[in-house]
Amino acid sequence: MLKVDIHAVLHTVTLHCSGRIVLGMEAEMLRCMAEARNEAYLMLDLSEIRAMDAAGLGLLVELHCRALCRDQVLTIVKASRRVRRLIALANLHSVLDVAEAGVGDLEDGDEARPPLVRHSLSA
Amino acid sequence: MQETSQVATQPRISREFTFPGDLESMVAARQALMSFIAPYCSSEIEEIDIFVALQEALANAVLHGCQNDSSKTIYCSVEIDPGAFTIIIRDPGPGFDVDAAMQSTEAGANTTTHGRGIRLIRSLMDEVAYRNGGSEVQLRKSRAAASSVA
Repeated sequence: MLKVDIHAVLHTVTLHCSGRIVLGMEAEMLRCMAEARNEAYLMLDLSEIRAMDAAGLGLLVELHCRALCRDQVLTIVKASRRVRRLIALANLHSVLDVAEAGVGDLEDGDEARPPLVRHSLSA
Repeated sequence: MQETSQVATQPRISREFTFPGDLESMVAARQALMSFIAPYCSSEIEEIDIFVALQEALANAVLHGCQNDSSKTIYCSVEIDPGAFTIIIRDPGPGFDVDAAMQSTEAGANTTTHGRGIRLIRSLMDEVAYRNGGSEVQLRKSRAAASSVA
């Protein structure tokens, strides 16, 4: 199961993911939701991701390449230790932009401003 | 999803499963397998390691061994003893070139969307053995804290 909360502020959108990013409906849902965003900065908050498989890792690479092609910046923020471990095991730490936890706190400074869009979906 | 047998003699427990070779059935199979395995895991990390490796092996069996065809059947067995989890997954496919796949997964950063499954399995499990030309894989993970099988 994967749940994604979307939080958009100006040119930045953060997809807060919780659950699992694995082959099937979960990976497809995240792909569709990420690809639908046109903001310049796309952040994937993976702090609540418990497990990810090769399809999930492949999706991160796919979204990273797609963002490059569209002049977007894709950053993985607040990646849990498990996710960072899987990224390292797959030798992707040199490919993906994985920020340390603090970068993901960008939204905290924007608390005073109401988000333009905020909703959630789950699969 | 069919459980074909169960042997619960101490101190080893085992169960066999068969399921159709399509993605929908794979999700149910994974859930059934993890429901059997999870109670014997000593930590969440151990459980997730097995979950991810199992997911990869099942996905390979469904996508490559069965071409996502529900008329084909995948066999799976799980054996848990005080020392290790042992999982065997067998599909009816022709297998694959194990050596070539191993070599390609050991290459540097893979920037394609595929080809990470075998590397993940090998990283997360203590032993991985392919048989029958790759149509059967045996995964073994030592139990972190050996506890008696309930």
